[in-house]
Amino acid sequence: MTDRSWLAVGLATGPADRSEAEEAVRTAYRRAGLTGPERFEWHGSPRAGAVAAARLAAGADGGQAGRSVRGDVRTRPWAAARAALASRLGPRGWAEHWTATGARTWQLLIDRLVTPIRTRLDADLAETADTIGMALLDAVQGQHDAAWLPAFEGVVELEGLAGVARTAGWWWPYERVAILTERPVALHRDNLGRLHHGDGPALSYPDGWSMHAWRGMPIPPDVVVRLPSLTAHEIRAETNAEMRRVMVEYFGYERYLRETGAKKVHEDEYGTLWRADIPGDEPLVMVQVLNSTPEPDGTRRTYFLRVPPDTRTAREAVAWTFGLIPEEYAPQLQT
Amino acid sequence: MIGGILGASVGWSGCGTVACMYRQGDVLIIPVNESELPAGLVPAPRDRGRMVLAYGEATGHAHVATGEGLTLLCLPDDLETMFLRVRSYGRVSHEEHAPVPLPAGYYRVVRQREYEPGAIRYVAD
Repeated sequence: MTDRSWLAVGLATGPADRSEAEEAVRTAYRRAGLTGPERFEWHGSPRAGAVAAARLAAGADGGQAGRSVRGDVRTRPWAAARAALASRLGPRGWAEHWTATGARTWQLLIDRLVTPIRTRLDADLAETADTIGMALLDAVQGQHDAAWLPAFEGVVELEGLAGVARTAGWWWPYERVAILTERPVALHRDNLGRLHHGDGPALSYPDGWSMHAWRGMPIPPDVVVRLPSLTAHEIRAETNAEMRRVMVEYFGYERYLRETGAKKVHEDEYGTLWRADIPGDEPLVMVQVLNSTPEPDGTRRTYFLRVPPDTRTAREAVAWTFGLIPEEYAPQLQT
Repeated sequence: MIGGILGASVGWSGCGTVACMYRQGDVLIIPVNESELPAGLVPAPRDRGRMVLAYGEATGHAHVATGEGLTLLCLPDDLETMFLRVRSYGRVSHEEHAPVPLPAGYYRVVRQREYEPGAIRYVAD
């Protein structure tokens, strides 16, 4: 499988293939020299899985489940495979191999998805028992293990983990019980892979557990509901600065500039700089630029880009968007 | 696609004997000396064999580099810091923009960004 098809595994939505997943769990146990779980327990989300795992860890079943065997089925075979490959390829070879295979999936699945999910679970479950926090550490990430699996294609010791990744969500291995969970029913991301949706949850699971987010920033569900009917007045009245930023962005910077009477600050051959004050917050400063490539009818599209509030000229603004100072920004060819 | 205007439509002001700075939509390609390259660069991850400088938002469009002996490089722990090594000649293509020619040399690839209080967001066309 290519890193691209592993990415599809990591982003997959829809019901788990329970029989395939259970078979893969047995394989993982067998590869680790364990006899395998006597019982499988399925739950509808990582949250429900963590709660169930915490109950087992607290001895809710009278200790029947046994200890967590995450180290045996996940950590040890992964560490062995990594060490073997790194010693065969050498440090530079390993860096090249990882960059070509796992770096992108790791960024998109762990940094953009798993980390926000864990942050949310930590917050959700903070008020419950400490054992839940511990249970989160015992999770194996199922489909999200697709973050690193592409770097270890064909390693037989990892075939059980890979099998669960292709068929189910997060899971928790104990000596005699395996807790497995479903994959999301819906997942929406922006162009950078961050959780992002303006019409319902960005991530939701079959048991109803969900996360609302706008460009990776968690937002309360009631704010999402209000987004489509916002007015500039309501945005100005919002007291929470983070929510106000989400609102302005959804509303549209250009429209906000227009409806709040923005001032033209500067104009040069690079574009036009606009500024609108936002009560209690830093001003909205945007550069308006023209597309270099004309549309089929000969007109050129206009764009607005938000720049730091202390920007003084249009050229400085455009240069900033490319990380340059105005004197450095001088493209000879633009298409 | 976004940006300042130097020429009438597709802007070309020439650059004589000095290496050129090129822009294609939301990507800026800046010539650098070999000595300015950071240590530890490796070939960047490929997408179905393509060397992609940046992706578009929803269209699936992409800025793609091709050319004889051309390599897209990045840091193993920072995929967004990208450089191009062009041995003889290369070009950067995009579905909505005219292609950009690349003479031999080294280039830094800069993705256009937008200010976001507390964060920076990359632009995609």
